[in-house]
Amino acid sequence: MAKKMKIKAKEKDGVTKVKAMFTSLMADKEEAEKKNIGVEYIAYVVGKVNGKTVYEATTSGFMAENPLMKFSFTGAKKGDKLEFTVTDNHGKTETGSKKIK
Amino acid sequence: MERRKFLNMGLVAVAAAVVPATSLHAVNFRETKPKAWEAEKSAEAIKAMFGDGKLNPTDKIKMIAPKLAENGGSIPITLKSDLDIVTLAFFQDANPRSATVVFTVPEGQKVNYSFRIKMRQTAYVTVVAQTKDGKLHTLNKEIDVSIGGCGG
Repeated sequence: MAKKMKIKAKEKDGVTKVKAMFTSLMADKEEAEKKNIGVEYIAYVVGKVNGKTVYEATTSGFMAENPLMKFSFTGAKKGDKLEFTVTDNHGKTETGSKKIK
Repeated sequence: MERRKFLNMGLVAVAAAVVPATSLHAVNFRETKPKAWEAEKSAEAIKAMFGDGKLNPTDKIKMIAPKLAENGGSIPITLKSDLDIVTLAFFQDANPRSATVVFTVPEGQKVNYSFRIKMRQTAYVTVVAQTKDGKLHTLNKEIDVSIGGCGG
């Protein structure tokens, strides 16, 4: 599972642009067999600001390794905390947060 | 004593039943639509995910993707739209299972998502978006892959 995640968030004119990178092999069944490793992928990502969901994705092992996700949303201020929760296929969760610049 | 235990059990059951209702906003599609994630072809996956609704081709969703991907292990995709989308799903036909990523778009937010996918061969990718009024919009594109991803 992800050891760390990198998050960058920048607010400009009311729109917050976010880049987030999660660490995961993203190996689905077939790939895991070939490489002789365990199945490991991120299944669910949710991003929240002030308890409000701003990003939500259910993913599969066909995303590229160490998925980089970029998105933008409105309704956050500078200094707000952006919080990510990542759940992998085993049900383990990982959280990370970053202040919006 | 027996009765008290029984009542306690009832309380626990009620609490367990309430939890999913409160987290209704967050939908993990892997739990709610497990069939869609096992489907081999995009058409089946879309059916499992969105039902039998008619798909309307649209030009209101923009997909930025390379026509020729040099590295099948990491293909950048960008989706943009001004529609009031509730659910946005991405499918491809190149891998053993079709569903790749499903976004739940929070209310009032516009779609502007970038991510990277794996494709082991040249295939069509399909985007299906469900808007607030329940209509389904679709758009697809062929991506040429020169070197397969997915460990191949």
